[in-house]
Amino acid sequence: MMQHARKAKQFLADEPRTDWHNQTLWIVRQKRDALAASVPGWETLREKASAIKEDALSHLDTYLEQFETEALKNGVTVFWASDADEFNRIILAIIRKHRAKNIVKSKSMLTEECGLNHFLQKEGIEVVDTDLGERIIQFRKEIPSHIVLPAIHLKKEEIGETFHEKLGTEKGASDPTYLTRAARKHLREKFLAADIALTGVNFAVAETGTVVVCTNEGNADMGVHAAPVQVHCMGIEKIVPRQEDLGVFTRLLARNATGQAITTYTSHYRKPKQGGAMYVVIVDNGRSEYIGNPQYMNSLKCIRCGGCMNTCPVYRRTGGHSYGYVIPGPIGSILAPQRNKQKYKDLPFASSLCGSCDNVCPVKINIHEQLYRWRQELTENKQTPFVKRFAMKALGFVLSGNKLYNMAGSLARKAVRYLPDKLLYLPVNAWGRGRELPVPPKQSFKQWYLKNHKDIKS
Amino acid sequence: MTKVDILQSIRKRRPVFPILSPDNFEPLPVALPGSLIEWFKKSLKTAGAEIIELKNTELDSHIAAAWPTILDFTQPKIRAEYPASAPLDKLNKIEHALFAGNFGVAENGAIWIEDKDLPHRILPFITQHLILKLDAGKIVATMQEAYQQFKLNDIEFGVFISGPSKTADIEQSLVYGAHGAKELTVILVTLNQKNITHND
Ligand code: SF4
Repeated sequence: MMQHARKAKQFLADEPRTDWHNQTLWIVRQKRDALAASVPGWETLREKASAIKEDALSHLDTYLEQFETEALKNGVTVFWASDADEFNRIILAIIRKHRAKNIVKSKSMLTEECGLNHFLQKEGIEVVDTDLGERIIQFRKEIPSHIVLPAIHLKKEEIGETFHEKLGTEKGASDPTYLTRAARKHLREKFLAADIALTGVNFAVAETGTVVVCTNEGNADMGVHAAPVQVHCMGIEKIVPRQEDLGVFTRLLARNATGQAITTYTSHYRKPKQGGAMYVVIVDNGRSEYIGNPQYMNSLKCIRCGGCMNTCPVYRRTGGHSYGYVIPGPIGSILAPQRNKQKYKDLPFASSLCGSCDNVCPVKINIHEQLYRWRQELTENKQTPFVKRFAMKALGFVLSGNKLYNMAGSLARKAVRYLPDKLLYLPVNAWGRGRELPVPPKQSFKQWYLKNHKDIKS
Repeated sequence: MTKVDILQSIRKRRPVFPILSPDNFEPLPVALPGSLIEWFKKSLKTAGAEIIELKNTELDSHIAAAWPTILDFTQPKIRAEYPASAPLDKLNKIEHALFAGNFGVAENGAIWIEDKDLPHRILPFITQHLILKLDAGKIVATMQEAYQQFKLNDIEFGVFISGPSKTADIEQSLVYGAHGAKELTVILVTLNQKNITHND
């Protein structure tokens, strides 16, 4: 069985938890819908956001250079990293240069992608994740299961248990306010002692060299303003050309992410603090390869709102960890094979191709089309198991002939009705394993149509 | 040279097809749900903030009565006491801090604060209770208008603040006071009409 399917099975074994996970994310999706509907011209905003990102990606070289020029003028040090390893080494060098001991980090999917924490740990350096959800999973030695709600897979009792162990909260206590207060106290100490603050970047404005970071908790700002050294880590695709573009994205991001009108804090960092240092590290790590690729370039427009996860029927019922890539869900399933085709070959299949992700995406990425293309590409490259390939071939043969199709349909309707489950969900039927077949109708749509629309026809 | 490599990799591949200009879209219509002030107040409430409406003549007495130990950072004397070099321990003891917001955004309750308002950048985050006063006439409708109110190039650090710090990372239960201020009170200041006529 393939990776995602196997891990999904583990997740699904706990039925009440699966239902809870599904429901919770669906509520987030509904909040998002209500807010999207409350904004007149929401669709125009999406069009505009998409066009800005296309413009940014099509002239990315120019905008990146402009960003660097402006940042340098502002007294910011800029580094460039080709891949994860180079990125990690740059961060290590900055830490060594400043002889830093205490490092705090606010949410950055890029540092997860590059495995920064793990790398620094091997060098004897501890990074404290300060986003509450991230701190929880860091205590538990897990990875985020969602890009905006990293601990969405956990129940409060489990978090209470972890905090009891790590922070000495009362045993059995699981009240969210109580636990949040304990984390606030613990992390304030970390902020006040920080030598370096690392952050991700939501938007980097080319014309001014400003980086923008959005949080609800205020952890990015607590770290950045407390520590003498601030380091902002961004993928090359985070560029937006102009200040006014922020007006479009800040209207979309939080509404689409968590159903809030805006995040509590939208912070703009342009120059280092008095007596402090500011760094921006620009990372490629395989992204530039997909620029100009007409099939997949669109995926680089992603602003990491997580909307496609909340809406995805597969994500909601299988959990983020089943994907096995730092970014789970629909967008993760098209980004992962860009990084490693062999390792993530099954992810484009972890989808129903219902297209709901495309409909909610604030920058109009054609996610489900890309999932479909990846399926074709990976199947051509024989990166799908034999049984599935063979079944698809047979299907193609049947679908190509009218007579054969009609006959197969009538046979199937009978077969599904009368065959025992054992035969239907045979081990060779890779499909049957994760799916239950509906009760088939007695007649085909064609038969029904011909019978009921005779008069219309004649 | 990594930079050159990355830029070359982009140049080699970047698409040549014509791109639709972002300017090709109609300006967005704004349907006002009531007045800008009402809309702003509603958004702030949703974001978890408290709102007080005061005449400018009532301001000082109200603040002094409500928060006797408040640090009013609109006053030069207080600003001088908490410079950028102030030790963090001292800042961490602040309970109530008051700043003047530059303008507000009706669609989400965000208020813009920048360097010139902050002797130390951490102040609006580290204080337990944040109080922002805002001229009720300075409210724009949307973020698109908001970004036309200032030039990023004039600002070294600036932030939109909408509500108290919050998290829902434990089972999606909303808790105020994650790392930043636990409470936000916004004082909407209206000019005392009588005063104006007198002064005229
Ligand atoms: S693909 Fe679209 S919906 Fe999904 S996280 Fe990215 S921007 Fe959000």
